[in-house]
Amino acid sequence: MQELTFKVQRYLPGKDRKPYMQQFTVPLHKGMTVLDGLIYIKENIDNTLSFRSSCRMGICGSCGMLINNFPMLACHTPVEELGTDRIEVRSLTNFPVIRDLVADLGLLFEKHKSIKPYIVSPEREEAEGPTTELLQSAEALENYMQFAYCVKCGLCMAACPTVATDDLFLGPQSLGQTYRYCADTRDTGAKERFHEADSRHGIWLCHLAGACSEACPKGVDPALAIQLLKRAMVASSLRLKRGKQTAPIAPALTEIKPKIEAPEFTVK
Amino acid sequence: MSETRLKILQYITGIVLFFYVGAHLIVSHLSGGEPAAWESVAERASSSLWLAFYILLLIFGLYHGIYGLRTIIIELLPRLPAKVVDWTLVTVGVAIFIYAAYIPISAF
Repeated sequence: MQELTFKVQRYLPGKDRKPYMQQFTVPLHKGMTVLDGLIYIKENIDNTLSFRSSCRMGICGSCGMLINNFPMLACHTPVEELGTDRIEVRSLTNFPVIRDLVADLGLLFEKHKSIKPYIVSPEREEAEGPTTELLQSAEALENYMQFAYCVKCGLCMAACPTVATDDLFLGPQSLGQTYRYCADTRDTGAKERFHEADSRHGIWLCHLAGACSEACPKGVDPALAIQLLKRAMVASSLRLKRGKQTAPIAPALTEIKPKIEAPEFTVK
Repeated sequence: MSETRLKILQYITGIVLFFYVGAHLIVSHLSGGEPAAWESVAERASSSLWLAFYILLLIFGLYHGIYGLRTIIIELLPRLPAKVVDWTLVTVGVAIFIYAAYIPISAF
């Protein structure tokens, strides 16, 4: 049976002074992913190996790690695609390490929270308990749909050269999501988000390296979102653009008829 | 001033400098004759049009350069206090402007 060599980063704070690499030999099987290899190591060789994973299908964004020096989702990376039998796995760059391959994504979520990643409504009561429905056209949906695929895995932040030097920089994830919500016709929070993105460590520190878009496993293209956001912010600053079209309120339903009559209960 | 407006000024000065530096290169190196000779320099220095040209070139160049330096400092030393960085750069910029503007003005 063909075998793979996994070189995995190990680090236990309090015990190890700095991260080191440990080598494991893992049998190769058809369709195997890097995550499968790590699970094999944990189940059969060393159960102290720590890594984060959940859905195993590239949806939850938990298993982001540096695989052969490129940020990738371990569950979304078939070992055959790497074109080598030596696989080096480290925790995500630009994030502190909690243990082994587990990166501390706290800062990512803090930055994400700061840009109000939700639909902002002018009326608080309506936002918390909506009584009406807003209509959104397919064209309006297309304006932001691509950017709504973000799973907050942190790969774009790990790839970003600006985050590497300035950890206060909002980063591609938050800035991409700033555009995603500002482009939504149901939202009225653009002004507040522009203010956040216009900070000293905000959007203008992006040098358009494009590493974020290359790393994104969901095709979100944060670099494009950042460029569109820059354009929107310049237009807003120079008052060149009229306010965006807002989604109209759907007419209230006057009568609701069930499509199929419910059958009578057979037991009284 | 907001960061967006500072950046817009950076874009504008960048575009203006492209033409300004182009004109400067043409005059200094491609227009033939002896543009760097004392007579040529003195002739340009006595022209109010050239004085305005050089002062504006200085203003645009200084803003563009110092804003770029500020971006590098913010990125490489993110925890330096904002006011310290900004006021230091403004002071350096004003000092360079006074010294550099003095030369063509005194020759005028």
